[in-house]
Amino acid sequence: MKISYEWIGDFVDLDGVTPKEAAEVLTRLGIEVESLTVIDLSQIIVGKVLEQKPHPKSKTKLWIHQVDLGTRTEQIIAGADNAVPGSLVPVALPGTTVPNGKVVKDLNIAGYSAKGMLCSAEELLLGDDHSGILILDSGRPGDPLTTVIPSQATMDVEVTSNRPDCMGHLGVARELAAGLDRPMKVDFMPAFTGKSEPAGRDMVKVSIDDADLCSRYIGGVITGVKVGTSPDWVQRRLRACGVRPINNIVDITNYVLLEYAQPLHAFDRAKLSGGEVHVRRARAGEKLLCLDGVERELTPEMLVIADADKPVAIAGVIGGEETAVTDATADVLLEAATFNGPNVRQTARAFGLRTEASARFEKGLPAELALAGARRAAALIAELAGGAVHREWADVYPRPQEPVRIRLKPWLVDEVLGIHVPLEDSEAILIRLGFHVRILGDGEWDVLPPVFRLDVSIPEDLVEEVGRVWGYDRVPPTLPGRRRDRWTPSIPSMGRRLDAARQVLAGAGFTETWNPALVSGRMLEQLRVGARALGVSNPLSDDMDTLRTSLLPSLVNVVALNRDRGRMGVKVYEIAAVFLARVGDKTTQQPEEPQRLGAVTDAGATAESGREAFYAMKSVLDGCVRELGAPAYSYRRASAEMFHPGRCAAVFLEARQLGYIGELHPFVVANAGLEGRLVAIEIDLDPVLATAEIRRGQPLPRFPAIERDLAVVVEEHVAAGALLATIKEAGRDILERSRPFDEYRGAQVPDGHKSVAFALTFRSPERTLTDAEVDNVMGEIKLALEKKHSARFRE
Amino acid sequence: MSDPQELTQEALAAIARAQTENELAAIEVDYLRRKNGRISSLLSDIGKLPPEERAALGQAANEAKRVIEAALAAKRHELEEARLADIAETEAIDITFPGAPLGRGHIHVLTQVQRQIETVLESLGYQVELGPEVETEWYNFEALNIPPGHPARENWDSFYFTPDLLLRAHTSPVQIRAMQRIKEPPIYIITPGRCYRRDAPEATRLPYFSQVEGLAVDKALTVGDMKGTLLYMIQSLYGEERKVRVRPSYFPFTEPSFEFDVTCGICAGAGCKSCRHKGWLEVGGCGMVHPQVLRNGGIDPEKWNGYAWGFGIERMAMLKHDVDDIRLFYESDLRFLEQF
Ligand SMILES: [Zn+2]
Repeated sequence: MKISYEWIGDFVDLDGVTPKEAAEVLTRLGIEVESLTVIDLSQIIVGKVLEQKPHPKSKTKLWIHQVDLGTRTEQIIAGADNAVPGSLVPVALPGTTVPNGKVVKDLNIAGYSAKGMLCSAEELLLGDDHSGILILDSGRPGDPLTTVIPSQATMDVEVTSNRPDCMGHLGVARELAAGLDRPMKVDFMPAFTGKSEPAGRDMVKVSIDDADLCSRYIGGVITGVKVGTSPDWVQRRLRACGVRPINNIVDITNYVLLEYAQPLHAFDRAKLSGGEVHVRRARAGEKLLCLDGVERELTPEMLVIADADKPVAIAGVIGGEETAVTDATADVLLEAATFNGPNVRQTARAFGLRTEASARFEKGLPAELALAGARRAAALIAELAGGAVHREWADVYPRPQEPVRIRLKPWLVDEVLGIHVPLEDSEAILIRLGFHVRILGDGEWDVLPPVFRLDVSIPEDLVEEVGRVWGYDRVPPTLPGRRRDRWTPSIPSMGRRLDAARQVLAGAGFTETWNPALVSGRMLEQLRVGARALGVSNPLSDDMDTLRTSLLPSLVNVVALNRDRGRMGVKVYEIAAVFLARVGDKTTQQPEEPQRLGAVTDAGATAESGREAFYAMKSVLDGCVRELGAPAYSYRRASAEMFHPGRCAAVFLEARQLGYIGELHPFVVANAGLEGRLVAIEIDLDPVLATAEIRRGQPLPRFPAIERDLAVVVEEHVAAGALLATIKEAGRDILERSRPFDEYRGAQVPDGHKSVAFALTFRSPERTLTDAEVDNVMGEIKLALEKKHSARFRE
Repeated sequence: MSDPQELTQEALAAIARAQTENELAAIEVDYLRRKNGRISSLLSDIGKLPPEERAALGQAANEAKRVIEAALAAKRHELEEARLADIAETEAIDITFPGAPLGRGHIHVLTQVQRQIETVLESLGYQVELGPEVETEWYNFEALNIPPGHPARENWDSFYFTPDLLLRAHTSPVQIRAMQRIKEPPIYIITPGRCYRRDAPEATRLPYFSQVEGLAVDKALTVGDMKGTLLYMIQSLYGEERKVRVRPSYFPFTEPSFEFDVTCGICAGAGCKSCRHKGWLEVGGCGMVHPQVLRNGGIDPEKWNGYAWGFGIERMAMLKHDVDDIRLFYESDLRFLEQF
C-alpha cells in the first residue's frame, strides 16, 4: 500500500522528521516500509509568466516566455503553450536536476537563449500529465516550489492482516505519532456536519436483510452538489497512492478510503428506484453492470446493495454503472457500511476482482469506522463540491460493536520481554496508541482498546503494543537456561541416521536430488503406479496434481533432464516420503507416508551393461543397508510395476519386503523419452532403521585361513543363490565365507550350461586347518552340488 | 689347484669389473657357493693334507670368503648408490597431470544446510521432531489459531485432497503433535520438513519448499531468550559478525509476533544492491507462542510459556551459498548439485 508522507503530515507534526526516519520508525513498529520514493522539489522555484511569444525561427513549434523569478526575469523556451501570461509555473534553472532525472542546461535555440525549463507534472513526478506545463494555484515568484507543493515522499508499506486500521493514512499517522511520541492533530471521530432539512433518514429507506453479512449501514444524504474536478492537492495525493482521479465526489470517497481505511460509495440518489436501499443476498440470475464496464452475474452467496427493483452495487467490492455519480448528479447518497470480511473475500475471489474496498473489508473492519469515514467524507463533499449535508442520517446498526475490556497484570510486560519497562512508560505507550487505562486497587489494569483496534483482545496483545513502541532493539539477546529436573535424552534424527547411507551412495558416485512430491497423475497412471495416488482437488497445474507413490518416476525424469543437457552415466538418488492413500473405509484418513530410498543409474545401451549395472546396484544397496546397521537381507526374483520382468528382485529384510531392485521396464524408459538401460532400487527405510543395531566388534581370527576356488558347471536355470545355499550347508562350520565371483559360458562348457566360480574361505576358530581336512570338506561340497544340482566341475 | 690368495685376487678383480647386480650374483655363486664353489672346492681335498696344514688352509679359505663377501657387499652398496643417484631423472613423473576423477556423488545442498541447522540447535538441547506432510485442517490451521474465514488464511493458500485433508503449509502442525505427545514441558524441538503452498513457481518461491521451525516451551521464557536463540543460530551458521533484529509483525499463532532479519553478508548492514539498500535480509518469522496454541497442544499457558520460529531451508541455503533462484534446488540439474 502506498502512503504519502505529505498526507501523514496532516495528522502528526513531522517537523524535523525526514521521510527516511519516518520509514524507519514505522518499520520498527511493525508497519514494514518496503521501499521509499522521495521526490525532492527543493531545487525548483516558482515563476510567473510575463510574456509568451511564438519562436520565430524554430522548425518545431516553440514558445518564448519571459518569466518573473522574483529578483530577476529570465527568458525560457517551452514546447507547450498553456503557460499564458499571468500563469504561476514551476521553474528549473540551468544546472538543476528535475525529479524525473533530466538535467537542465543553459541553451541557445535557433538564436534565442533559454535560461531554464518550465516543468510539467510528469517531469516533477507529480502525475502523468506531460501535455503541458504544470500551472500552480498559488505561489510567489522566486520562492521555492516547496512553499506551494511540499517535497513528496511515497512509502510502499506492508500492513499485516490484523491491522486493517492501518490501511489508511490516519492509522499509519497514529502509529508514527506513538513511535515519535508526538500528539495527533485530529481526533478519530470527526464532528457531524449535517444540518440541512429535512432529516437525511427521511430521504432514503435503508433495510438490512442479512445482519450476519452486514452489521451496519449508514446512508448520508447530500443534496445540491456540483460535480467537477477535484482540487490539485486531492488529485496529487490520489495519484501518489496510485488512484486515478475521476470527479470530486468519487475522488472524495477514494480519498477517505485512503485516509480512514473505510471504503465508501456514492450513489446518484435520483437513480435509486424508490429512494430505497436494501442490503440483501443476490437473487439467482441477477446481473449488474459494474463501474469497470463489466457485467457480472450474481449468485445467492453474494451480498448486494439493491434499490426497490435491482442490485446497484456488489457489497464491499464494486459499485454499479447505472447509479454512479456523473456530471449531471445533484443529490448524492453516501454509503458507509460494515460488511462481513469472509463473505466479501469470497465474492471478490469468485470474480477475480480485488478492489481497494474489498481488500479492506475482507480483513474485517470495525463498525465504528463506518461512521467516522462517512462524517469525514460528508464534510469534504460540502467543502469541495458544495452541497447540503442533511441532518440525521439513516444508520441501520443491527449488530453493535461489542466493547472489549482486558485485565492486564502489568508485570506481564517484563515477564514476556525479559527486560524492565517502567509501569508509567507502559501506561503512556498504551495511551499514545488510543487505549484507556484504569489502574485497579490490586495493581492490575483495566484496559479498553480504541474502537478501531479489533485485533487486541488478550493481555499478550497489550504486551506486544508496549513492546513494539518501547523497542525490541532494547531487548538484549539471552539464552534460556535453568536447572532442569526433566529432560529427554538426545536421539539422532532420522535424517542424521540416514546420512550413513548418503555417504555410501556418494562414494558409489550417486548424487542426491530433492524432487517435488507433486507430480502428474496421468504420468503415474501411465506407469501403472497410480492406484493408491492422492489427487489434489485444487491443483495449480496438471503436471503437479497428484502426490507421488514412488520416487522412481521423478528420478527417471532427472536422468532424462541431465541427458538432455549432455550428461551421460547419471547416477542419482532421493530420500523422501511417498504417499499411499489408505484403502477401504479409511480413504478419508491421512495417507501412509513411508520414507523411501530411490536410486537410478544410467546403465548404458546393452543388455550386458544393464546386467552389470544390476549387480553394481546390488553392491550399493548392500553397502547402504550394512552402514545403516541393519541385518542381512535377501533377494527373491519378482515382478513389479515399472521393472523389467526378467531383471527384477524383491528385497527382503527378514520376512519383510522392503522394495525392489532391478532394471526398469523398457516402456518406462521410453515413456521418459529415453533409450537404453536404467537400473533402479526403491526400498522402504523405516523397517531398515527399525532393525538397525549397533555393530559389535568380533575378535580377530587367530588361525590362518585356506582359500579354494570352485568352478561349478550347471544348467542355465540354476541360480547362483541356490548353489551358494548348498555350498554353505555342506561346508559345515569350517567354511567361513563363500562368494560367487564369475559366470562363464563358452568353449569348455556344454550348450545350455554355465560355469559359476566360487571363492571359498575355510578357517577354524580353534586350530590350524590341514589341506587334508579342507580337501575332505571340498569333496562333500562337490558331492552335494552333484546330487542337488547335477553339477560338474571344471579344474 | 690355486691357493686362496690367488683366488681372492681373482675374485676381487671380477668384482671390481662387475657393473650389475646380476654379475655380482654370478660371482657370488661362482666363488662362494657351498657346493662346488671355488672356495669350497679348495677344501675338497683337505683330508689328504697333513694335519698341521689343514688348519692353515681352512683359515686361509675362511679369510678368502670373508674378503670376497665384504667386497661384494661394498660393490653392491656402490652400485645401489649409483642407481639411486639418478632416479630424480630416470623415474621423474609429470606432477601436473591430474589424477583420475574419484567419481564421488554429492549430498544435496539442502540436506547439508538442514543438517548444519540441526547440529547448531541440537547443541542447545533441541531435538528433531517429524510429522506427516498430508495434514488435517485442525492441525494445519485451527490448532494454530487460524479458524476458517480468518483473513490470514490467504497467506497459506493450500493444496487440498478432501475438505479436511491438505498438504501442510508449514511444519507448525508438528509442534502441536509434539506438545500433545510430550505433554510435560520443558519442550525444546525443531521440526524440519517439506511444506506446500499454492504459489506459482518463480525465482524466489515455489509451491513446495522446506522449513525448519523451532519450539521452546518452558517456565518464564522471554522475547530476549528468543532473540538470543536466533542470534546464536545465525552466528553459528554464518559467522560471529552477523546481527539479528526482530520486527513486529503478525501471525495468528504467536503473540507478540515478529519477522526476523539478518544483517546483509555483503555490506554488513550498511546497505547495498543485494539487500535492496536495507542492510537487512528477511529470514523468517518468530514470536511468543499464543496461549490458545499452547492450550491446543495440551499445555497450560498459566504455568508455561514458549517461543517459536520458522524459516525456509532454501532461503538459508540461498543466503549461505549465494544462490539466486530457488528453482535450482529442485530442478536436479547435476551441474548445480555438484557445486556443493
Ligand atoms: Zn547489503
